[in-house]
Amino acid sequence: MAELTSFSFHPGSSLLHKLDVRFKIFFLILISLISLGCGFTGLCILTGLLTALIMHSHLPLKSGFKEFRFFIILLLLILVARMLATPGTALFETKSIAITRPGLMSGIRICWRLVVIALLGFLFVFTTRSSEIKAAVEWFLKPFKFIPAKHIATMMGLIVRFIPVILNQAKETAEAQRARCLENRKNPFYRLIRLGVPLIRRTFEQADRLIVAMEARCYSENRTDAILSATRIDWIALLIIFIICGGIVSI
Amino acid sequence: MDIIEIENLKHRFSDGTLGLDYINLKIKAGAFVVVAGPNGSGKTTLIRHLNGLLRPTVGSVKVAGVSVQQDLLRARRLVGMMFQDADSQIVGETVYADVAFGPENLRFDHDQIRERVALALEVVGLKDFSDQRPHLLSGGEKRRLAIAGILAMEPKVIVFDEPFASLDYPGVKQVLKQILTLHQAGDTILVITHDLEKVLAHADRLIIMHKGKIVRDGVPAEIIGDIETFGVRAPCASQLGMEVLSWLN
Repeated sequence: MAELTSFSFHPGSSLLHKLDVRFKIFFLILISLISLGCGFTGLCILTGLLTALIMHSHLPLKSGFKEFRFFIILLLLILVARMLATPGTALFETKSIAITRPGLMSGIRICWRLVVIALLGFLFVFTTRSSEIKAAVEWFLKPFKFIPAKHIATMMGLIVRFIPVILNQAKETAEAQRARCLENRKNPFYRLIRLGVPLIRRTFEQADRLIVAMEARCYSENRTDAILSATRIDWIALLIIFIICGGIVSI
Repeated sequence: MDIIEIENLKHRFSDGTLGLDYINLKIKAGAFVVVAGPNGSGKTTLIRHLNGLLRPTVGSVKVAGVSVQQDLLRARRLVGMMFQDADSQIVGETVYADVAFGPENLRFDHDQIRERVALALEVVGLKDFSDQRPHLLSGGEKRRLAIAGILAMEPKVIVFDEPFASLDYPGVKQVLKQILTLHQAGDTILVITHDLEKVLAHADRLIIMHKGKIVRDGVPAEIIGDIETFGVRAPCASQLGMEVLSWLN
């Protein structure tokens, strides 16, 4: 596991690293919701904000791009489906296929929104420890007595902890199979099965080893959690985000 | 004083395989014990009973006079365990977070946790790596990080399961030096290995396991003669009739 996935927490001293995780979760939800309803101007503003944050946090976009390559394929599929399925003035037409202008615009808008949300998630995971996420989830669920907050928070913390492990397993398994010329087999289902089965088995084995190691170090739900404390920076960030979101909604 | 007391320990796995066959063993506080045996001889099964990761089918295991079953948390605090695969033992996103994992589970307050982590990192020489991501450390550093994670819980017994597996020469020396420092500080050390070459010079007791049983138990120089009968390779020096030397010399 020498080469680590970029889709995991990286220590740093950026503004996002310093923000209280509860504020970050709130911003993540708020901006995601706003991006779902806004047009191109709003998306431009959000992209500008994201670009500034990405540069400030030193998010490794190049390696992140590699890990998001399947997501990019999904975006392309959405774009093509939109272009072909939305009625309107045709930009390009053959006998049976017509690419429409409204379809193209709608496809670009949807893909852009999804990219904004994915990048927000990437920034969040990149700058937040899983122990902080666990503590914040527990804090958010505390008022709802009927919800087992500790259980859910523990599960979420472990899921976040496990994402890079699974991605690493997938990378290692794929490399081992490429070394044995799997790429010569053109059938995608065959390749998927060949990758999926050992990957699932290895992930479970790894999970089992991790559980044993955690148990050996007295893991339980009742442990000293990360300290959550809101500072002046958090409230200023909240104000700025409210102004930006308010501006986008009013456009 | 015996810090570990095992009486008539038998363990049968759920598929019916016999893991341990009536083991009786006592280990004195401060001892340096090497447990060797071929794959499947029951070494790992045995040590996993010391902190309740496995429960006995028959028999009992006591740590510092108290049954493991009776007080599981105490047993896990007193018996620190370093696993063969250091990567799967890493739970924190940073070196600091990983070492703090144990004390956090023991519900210490944040000041105490900070103190313990700083001390443990100092002991293993990783103080300057506090904010480093653990997966980017070298093999030897990862093993030292695992040791720091155990030390932060202040155990009395430290068990090393194949501590030198897949380490290069400098890595082996780093880990061995660390083990010896802990032993000199008064900790009881148990090293599980099938490769005696690297550690036997420092051990004061050697236990050979075979098919779930203890087949040899004594001072290394006295019992090393026929250990190859049980699938354990004797160090080169002892095969040549010489004294086994430390890898640190």
